[in-house]
Amino acid sequence: MHPMALDGVLMILALSAYAVGAVALVAYFLSREDWLRNFGASLAVIGCAAQFAQLGARYAETHIWPLLNLYGSLSLFAAMSVAIFIGFAFRYRLWFAGGFVLAIAAVFLAYGVTWDEGVMPAVPSLQSYWAKIHVPLVVSSYGAFLVSFVFSLLYLVKYYGERHFATRRVRISAATAAGPVVPPFEVARSARYGTDDDGVNPALRDTPALAAAVSEGSAVAGWLATLPSLAQLDILVYRAVSIGLPLLTLGVITGAAWAHEAWGAYWQWDPKETAALASWILYAAYMHLHTRNAWRGMRCSWWSVVAFLSIIFCYLGVNIWISGLHSYKV
Amino acid sequence: MDHSASRTFLARPKFLDDLIRTFGNVTFGVALLALWGVLTIIGVVVEQGKDPASYFASYPAPIARAIVRLDFNDIYHSVWYLASVGLVLASMTTATFTKVIPRRLPPHRAVKIDAMPLHATVRVAGDEASVRARIERFFASRGWKITKRDIDGTQWSFADRFNWARIGVLVNHLAILIIASGTIVYWASGYSGETAIMTGDTAQIPQNHDLVRLDGFSYDVKPVMTKSGIVYQPIDYVSRVTVVRHDGIPTPMVVRVNHPIDLDGTLLYQASYGFGMRFAVSHDGVSVTSLGRRTLVEGDAMQIPGTAQSVVYERFVPTVDRRTKMPSPDPRISDPAVILAVLDGGQAIGEVLAPLGAPLDLGNGWSVTPVSDVIYSGFQYRYDPGVPLVAAGAILLLVGLVISFYFLPARLHVRVDSAEDGACTVGLAATTVKGYDIFESQFQELVSALRGAEGVER
Ligand code: HEM
Repeated sequence: MHPMALDGVLMILALSAYAVGAVALVAYFLSREDWLRNFGASLAVIGCAAQFAQLGARYAETHIWPLLNLYGSLSLFAAMSVAIFIGFAFRYRLWFAGGFVLAIAAVFLAYGVTWDEGVMPAVPSLQSYWAKIHVPLVVSSYGAFLVSFVFSLLYLVKYYGERHFATRRVRISAATAAGPVVPPFEVARSARYGTDDDGVNPALRDTPALAAAVSEGSAVAGWLATLPSLAQLDILVYRAVSIGLPLLTLGVITGAAWAHEAWGAYWQWDPKETAALASWILYAAYMHLHTRNAWRGMRCSWWSVVAFLSIIFCYLGVNIWISGLHSYKV
Repeated sequence: MDHSASRTFLARPKFLDDLIRTFGNVTFGVALLALWGVLTIIGVVVEQGKDPASYFASYPAPIARAIVRLDFNDIYHSVWYLASVGLVLASMTTATFTKVIPRRLPPHRAVKIDAMPLHATVRVAGDEASVRARIERFFASRGWKITKRDIDGTQWSFADRFNWARIGVLVNHLAILIIASGTIVYWASGYSGETAIMTGDTAQIPQNHDLVRLDGFSYDVKPVMTKSGIVYQPIDYVSRVTVVRHDGIPTPMVVRVNHPIDLDGTLLYQASYGFGMRFAVSHDGVSVTSLGRRTLVEGDAMQIPGTAQSVVYERFVPTVDRRTKMPSPDPRISDPAVILAVLDGGQAIGEVLAPLGAPLDLGNGWSVTPVSDVIYSGFQYRYDPGVPLVAAGAILLLVGLVISFYFLPARLHVRVDSAEDGACTVGLAATTVKGYDIFESQFQELVSALRGAEGVER
């Protein structure tokens, strides 16, 4: 087969694996059928492998580092997001979140394909070994932040689910002056630890209103109950950011080293590097907020959502709306 | 509330005490970080370094006025920006001394086991001393460091893990200060600038007096067929120069993008290129040599004597498309021309594409002929003695992040009390520097392992 044809076939394989995998894993999220998880997880692995093979095939064919345009970089972004997610999913059994990661990765990958300009040699400033190190690091950090973003959203869904059932319960018990007593939400937070097997579903330890609703047979609550506890979701967000922030830091440092070689100063206040600095500041702030009890959980999750929006702005917004040294446009 | 910190400040005036407390507060620090982030984003969204008029052209007047008045057109050098960074550094330093150092290295203290969020109690057969020894062996074999203390008559054992990693925050904050000091070194004693040198000419770096002569410049361009048409992709820019450094020896060198050369510590970078142009000027058929001597660069104007006319050399066109007679996007020289603008009394009256060698009649007996092009190379130079500090700070920052995120210092407080039947109860409570949630599953694993150990009951 002609190598460029191979490149196209792998791309289609990856896109379809992600699309079908996303559907399977969302279905798993809602139904908890094991076969859907196994099917979706296999597709995630296949799609991710196809992506790396695709980038390799492209490099083998053209001898041009395939990450120096928006097509290649979006492609690596999708691949790294899925790869980092697979790591989390295996380690913490989180396949239920995979549908969202795969769907977002597929959208970015499809968008990247629209930027495919064909084979293009690198302009002089991009002909640097730093480029080969810098781009994968930065793009991988975006992948980790995407994973943290998905966990944050799941946290918020469960949090507001709990709030909803808690207020409903207060209203009902006020009306009937009966029903089981549920501790107020904030109190529940501190009462959740324990090493004794007390028969409580660990995923519902810090969401008593949800636990009560589950026992009353609410379908929505039953579905939220399959998510990890709020405390665990919060820690998952933190762990994903703990991967992203050092990678972004290393990315900014290697970018500075490259700029020092190519442009005559390690820092130029170019829109791209400046936007990356802003995201870096937001995630450094997240880390500090996460050391505060009052901020851990809901507020930190919102913060992480906003920080990820700044990543998207830095990644795509700057390339598309703002011209500068990093703009990919010809 | 950190009592050890406030005790230190008793002798100070109250306002200073308050100031230190505010600056040492993490939430205040985060607010400052957010301010720094917002100012940084403003600089991305508002294009920097344009002249005031262009902001009025692209924004509504009140916003444009605000941009110019508040220095948002050069935000990174504005008072706001420097102040925000300064406040972040001040807050970080204050927090390091008032919070991080006292809290991160806590003394061994007695705790009320049941009141700790992460706690467990197990029963172990044996007398107090032997149970304590067995429990300590259990943790020591798993890599925990054991410390024994007698506190108010009770024997406590403390098991610590990654205690050394408590300095992670200090490493991070120190790294940030080192990076900041590296940038200050540049402001205090570095310099940078730009210079364009015509082929055959020599320029001097004003600050270190080194000389650079441009022997020749060449560029390599590759036409690439893409889906949206032909793109002329630059592949290489090469300046051949002869430099004379402090040693006085002329040395030939090559400057390329990504390959700067070192002039006694000042780095010289390939930055741009362009074309100078020589013109022949004649009046009533007689050559006016005084006007033709100068080489003009793009944007330069030539005043025609005795008239209100001037000719501006706007742009060099390396290749004119033979079919359309318009400038081709191909940057390689094959059929060169220049674009000239003619002005009368400062008003533009026309623009022409003039091929090299073809005279342009200006009227009143004057004519101008573009004769020959001279390529020039644009260089950037920079002396930055702060680079080693910034690089060291950057590496330290990475090390600090890895320590902070991947090595979680945790402490187990262990208390053994004899119970009836020749057994003991062992109370365990865990604390970490990052709260309890993050250690919960590991604590549970530890407790299950302990419960599974020989001689231990639930
Ligand atoms: C606004 C100024 C800053 C203040 C007031 C501040 C304060 C603090 C404090 C008090 C802690 C310890 C939190 C605790 O464990 O209770 C901390 C942790 C930390 N600081 Fe800062 N800091 C500042 C800026 C920075 C910056 C710019 C960085 C650069 C990355 C940084 C990196 C860190 C890291 C990595 C940690 C450890 C976080 C963790 O363990 O999760 N700090 N900071």
